[in-house]
Amino acid sequence: MKIKENPTRLDIAGTWQGIRMMLPLAVFTIAFGLAFGVAAVHQGLAGWEAMLMSLFVFAAPSQFAALEMWHSPLPLLALAAVTLAIHTRHMLMSAALYPWLKALPQRQQFAMVILLTDSNWAMALGEYQRGERNLGILLGGGIALWGAWVGGTAIGLAFGGGITEPERFGLDVIMLCFLLMIVVGGNPRAAMALPWLAAAASALMAYWWLPPYLHVMVGAITGGVVAVLLPGRWLRESAS
Amino acid sequence: MSSSPVWQSLIAIMLMVVIAYGSRVLGLLIMSRVPLGPRVRRFVDAMSSSVLIAVITPIIVHGDGGVRLAAIAAGTVAVVMRNPLVSIAMGMLCAAGWRWWFG
Repeated sequence: MKIKENPTRLDIAGTWQGIRMMLPLAVFTIAFGLAFGVAAVHQGLAGWEAMLMSLFVFAAPSQFAALEMWHSPLPLLALAAVTLAIHTRHMLMSAALYPWLKALPQRQQFAMVILLTDSNWAMALGEYQRGERNLGILLGGGIALWGAWVGGTAIGLAFGGGITEPERFGLDVIMLCFLLMIVVGGNPRAAMALPWLAAAASALMAYWWLPPYLHVMVGAITGGVVAVLLPGRWLRESAS
Repeated sequence: MSSSPVWQSLIAIMLMVVIAYGSRVLGLLIMSRVPLGPRVRRFVDAMSSSVLIAVITPIIVHGDGGVRLAAIAAGTVAVVMRNPLVSIAMGMLCAAGWRWWFG
């Protein structure tokens, strides 16, 4: 006899539950948004530029990376390439949610991933594996994070402009620390040491000897290739 | 400080929006046709963290002592304490402290 599986659902109650479950993390997201707003002001972005990004891009790593490249004239191609490389991760995330989402009509599937980001993905997938079928968890979590991110950015923009010497307060290292934290704080696996080392070394050489901004692509691709070339067994041994 | 023409900023942000949303949709589209194999997953997984490494490495190498100390502090806190906000705060504190002391 098979246990009957709950069908995929999406309703207001589930969405509320998702919002409530995400609230503790959303508090941190406000602080990140604030950090982004301050960093954006420091980098010379207009308020509306930073706000548009937070409203519609809604992805901290690529927004922080974009700040680093925000010099006139904007390196559009490099910016697109970097954003693409960062966001391939989201492709994998939505792919992992596909078994859950496939019950919906395609238009609703596409709408569900608008607010898909790392934290609500992780939370929703965890709930899915525990048997939850209400997609409101994913949507509500996204709404909470999005609101916190946008609100935090607004506060940061308002507050960051009043600071004249940002270096004295260490404001210029916010972006660096944030990106570093994402990389090593997420899931440091010993197996990634070699790909990351290769990425760092190749990026540095490209930074010195190749045209501007190419170093990011060089490092990304080198890291990916090295990870694929490592033998699977070797990876498992070093990861333990 | 830099201020680019408005149209340029708009194009840049639009590019980012399209790519950010497009990648989320692409995962669904691909899965509805062929499941991703483990090698592709490993490549994409490593690439999405390597891209961040590539962004920050030159900043650290070419930064002043404050930047380097901040990187060490933030990285250590991120690994040991797993607390993102403390990590960033420590980084800022170290950079500010270094510059107050040596600047």
